[in-house]
Amino acid sequence: MLKQLLLGSVMALGFIGSAAAEPVNILMEGVPDTEYVKALVPEFTKETGIEVNLEVVNYAEMHTKLVPQLVSPKGSYSAIVVDFYWVGEFAKAGWMQPLDDRIKADNFDTSPYIPAMMDLVGKVNGTTYMLPFYNYAMGLTYRTDLLADAKNQADFKTKYGMDLKVPETWDEYQKQVEFFTKDGFYGAVNQGLRPDPIAMEWSNYLFANGGEYHDADWKPTLNTPAGVKALEQYTNSINKYGPVGSASFGFDEAFNVMAQGKAYSYITYNFFRTAYDDPSKSAVVGKVEIMPVPGVSPDKGGSLNGAWGWAIPKSSPNPDDAWTFLKWVESKEITKKRALAGGSPTRTDVFDDADVLAKYPYYPALKKLLLTSHNFAVFTYTPQLVEVLGRELSLAVAGEKTPADALAAVEVEFTELAKKDGKLK
Amino acid sequence: MIGISGTGANAADRRDRRFGYAMATPSLLVLFLIILFPVISALFTSLHDYTLIAPNFDTFTGLTNFKLALGDAEFRHSAWLTLRFVIGVVALEFLIGFAVALMLNKVERFKPIYYAILLCPLLMNPVIVGLIWRMFLHPNLGIVNYLLSTIGIDPVNWLGDTKIAIWTVILVDIWHQVSFMIVLLLAGLSSLPKEPYEAARVDGANAFQCFIHITLPMMRTVIVVTLLIRLIFAVKTYDLIYIMTRGGPGTATDFVSYFIYRTAFVSLNVGEASAMSIILLTAILGLTVYLYRYMRSIN
Amino acid sequence: MKLRWSNIVPHVILSVFSLCILLPLIWVLRVSLTDKLTAYKIPPEIGHLGLENYVEIFSTYPFERWFLNSLVVALAATAISLPLATAMAYAFARFNTGGAFLRLGVLASQMLPPIILVLPLFTLFFSTGLMQTHMGLILSHLTISLPFLSWMLVSFFEGDSASLEEAARIDGATRWQAFIKIAVPVAAPGILAAGLLGFILSWNEFLFALVLSGASSQTLPIGLASMETHAGVEIAPLAAATVVSLLPIFALLPFLRKYLIKGLSLGALK
Repeated sequence: MLKQLLLGSVMALGFIGSAAAEPVNILMEGVPDTEYVKALVPEFTKETGIEVNLEVVNYAEMHTKLVPQLVSPKGSYSAIVVDFYWVGEFAKAGWMQPLDDRIKADNFDTSPYIPAMMDLVGKVNGTTYMLPFYNYAMGLTYRTDLLADAKNQADFKTKYGMDLKVPETWDEYQKQVEFFTKDGFYGAVNQGLRPDPIAMEWSNYLFANGGEYHDADWKPTLNTPAGVKALEQYTNSINKYGPVGSASFGFDEAFNVMAQGKAYSYITYNFFRTAYDDPSKSAVVGKVEIMPVPGVSPDKGGSLNGAWGWAIPKSSPNPDDAWTFLKWVESKEITKKRALAGGSPTRTDVFDDADVLAKYPYYPALKKLLLTSHNFAVFTYTPQLVEVLGRELSLAVAGEKTPADALAAVEVEFTELAKKDGKLK
Repeated sequence: MIGISGTGANAADRRDRRFGYAMATPSLLVLFLIILFPVISALFTSLHDYTLIAPNFDTFTGLTNFKLALGDAEFRHSAWLTLRFVIGVVALEFLIGFAVALMLNKVERFKPIYYAILLCPLLMNPVIVGLIWRMFLHPNLGIVNYLLSTIGIDPVNWLGDTKIAIWTVILVDIWHQVSFMIVLLLAGLSSLPKEPYEAARVDGANAFQCFIHITLPMMRTVIVVTLLIRLIFAVKTYDLIYIMTRGGPGTATDFVSYFIYRTAFVSLNVGEASAMSIILLTAILGLTVYLYRYMRSIN
Repeated sequence: MKLRWSNIVPHVILSVFSLCILLPLIWVLRVSLTDKLTAYKIPPEIGHLGLENYVEIFSTYPFERWFLNSLVVALAATAISLPLATAMAYAFARFNTGGAFLRLGVLASQMLPPIILVLPLFTLFFSTGLMQTHMGLILSHLTISLPFLSWMLVSFFEGDSASLEEAARIDGATRWQAFIKIAVPVAAPGILAAGLLGFILSWNEFLFALVLSGASSQTLPIGLASMETHAGVEIAPLAAATVVSLLPIFALLPFLRKYLIKGLSLGALK
């Protein structure tokens, strides 16, 4: 035994001497968009001679891994990707380098970015800290084949006195959810896991009912008729129209219910759209389409916006090389290549590109989705707000609190956080 | 202790003591070098208003963080839940583990095979265990509910029901960690001397009497240490919760380690998180001292 | 061989227990041979079977690097901590070195949640250049395995080898010889178990490995966890990776056969 262990330690020593050349190190998450970047990186290295290391970790653990790196005066990462709800926190703590001077010096054009994207993962209070990387705005995915079915259409007409079609308003969609729930089939599948799955999903319900998180002065507007109605509908959707257990579903469980053909609709991140057409994951290939979450009226959307941005941390060991990489990866040419591979763009010129449109006919819907989407409350304490919201929504779904009580509790803590951040006077 | 009578006793005692320190020194040196600084740093941080947004020790706050933590109803709730969880897993894993260890100690045939099988869950990371069980326990698409349905049982809402979720987590933890107990208890059993059993058999004692009067007393220290170590690990359970429930539904599985984790790395309030950790440490240490005294008093 | 109840009962209980452990693993094996669609089909179908996921973990993911990193870190951490902890445990048990205070102090550090320890550890490693190295990971795992292993082992030295050692000392053996030649062999089953558990502690350690590792030193738990993404869980490749990471147990089998049986006879030797 000891002999074997000694042998092991000798082996270990051989591995310890690690190389020290300074490549561009980036911490990322294992999403499709990361894969597309990974596939293109050799081109960059060939052009510039700069090595790029993409370190991939679990999304949920990324923040944990990043924080010590960012707090430290010198870190290991040249560039990072930032989820929209870390933006306020990272900016407040001063963890990101302003990019404006670099953008100006190199004439990097940021005007093609969709304005909502720049607001979300670009600028903070007028300073550019990030370049929008990919979007994950949420959309309504629904079964086209069920809408087209003649019997469904006739039954729906008799029951509700209106046509069964792609829903134009939130109320129309709610009727469809009720209609399709029968015989072990579900009108909607939800992701009730706290904190971010439930908080993100419920946000769509809030926006679709015409609600918002706060008014212009950052006074919370959740315990309002729109908010309470949104939470009542959400609770019903889980408990009456959804499968048993959706109160604990993350997006993977919920997606699987939809992909196995057991539900009519699922509000989710738009990059799941491609997964429905993957025959190794989905039994409903070609039968699911995506649209903006419908709002109170046909011209208003209810989608929650979401995106990741590229940033250079203050602790970056080689910010210049990192910028060279960012410039390259966000150039029109490379963003188009990423989109063609299946990526979720943030630039209008990519959305309008003929080659991209030819390959993905649903991109106009995605563009509309982005243009009509709403932003979450983005400030220094967004992660805490998500945490509080997740807890209280989950309590409401579990029936331990009434919707109004739960939202009142969120408002109390939201007010405190907004005051602490100086947003609310 | 090795006592040698006579005039040389003092010198021998001194040399014994010196030998003891010599044996402990390498370990202590390593521990001093790598763990002392983090521990002291945690103590120091708990007395300051230290957040990661403004990471400095400019504001000394004394015991404010401790007061805030103790006054936080959520923290107290999570501590209470953790207590229930820890008692549940440690007690159940001990009972199952001891039974299996006793059986394993009896057999010779297939022993390595049983042993290899029970090692498998231990070699799996909690993250993987959580993800895999989430798949098994999917209320509509999971194999467990399907098997239950074939014998006429309605689908169980394993992780989505506030009453059931904590038991689901306990069951998964048992599947994952029960072998930890078995490995240690079996080692304890197999190092027991044979003579007392042979003497007892001559006296006509049955297996049950042997267990009560020989095995249990001789295994006492191993049992206490096993329980203690498993307890410390159980209090620190957070990955499984993180993957399986994130503390939900509602706050049904919001254990204290996960709560502290969020205070430190989501709220970025390391000062208060450190204070919570020290409260936790004090509680476990108190229990340990009690168990330790109990163990000594018996020997 | 005569069949007797007392012979059969243990095997029945052990078989039932083993099945409880094994059935979920068999289902993991099944998932590893199919795709996500089939994995979630209810009622279950055999569907498509193949080895694609096994190919994928080596082609799409750097599985062999994760695996090797974990193996190196866990073996080294165990190889360093086991002898050190054995010596310290012996000192605790035989000479009451440092008294109850030291003994409890060693364990007390383990009662703090690792999330609190990881920030100072990060600072420490960054300033000493150990960040993202294998050596750093090994050291960080020592902070866990040393205290636990020494506590586990104390109880194995508190058995009755003391009288044997005393006899040997009277025969002229030094304290060191008494330790190596008598105390260690008598406590062998405990040392083996502690070594095994020490390896497992390090093999599964997540938080330190997450924060202190880099792209080249990423360990298996961190790598496998990265298969859970924003875009869903790659459950089929994950299952394949789990199966492969359990294969070394079969390599352990002959070793277990030898030492499990030997452990028993050692107990009888006394």
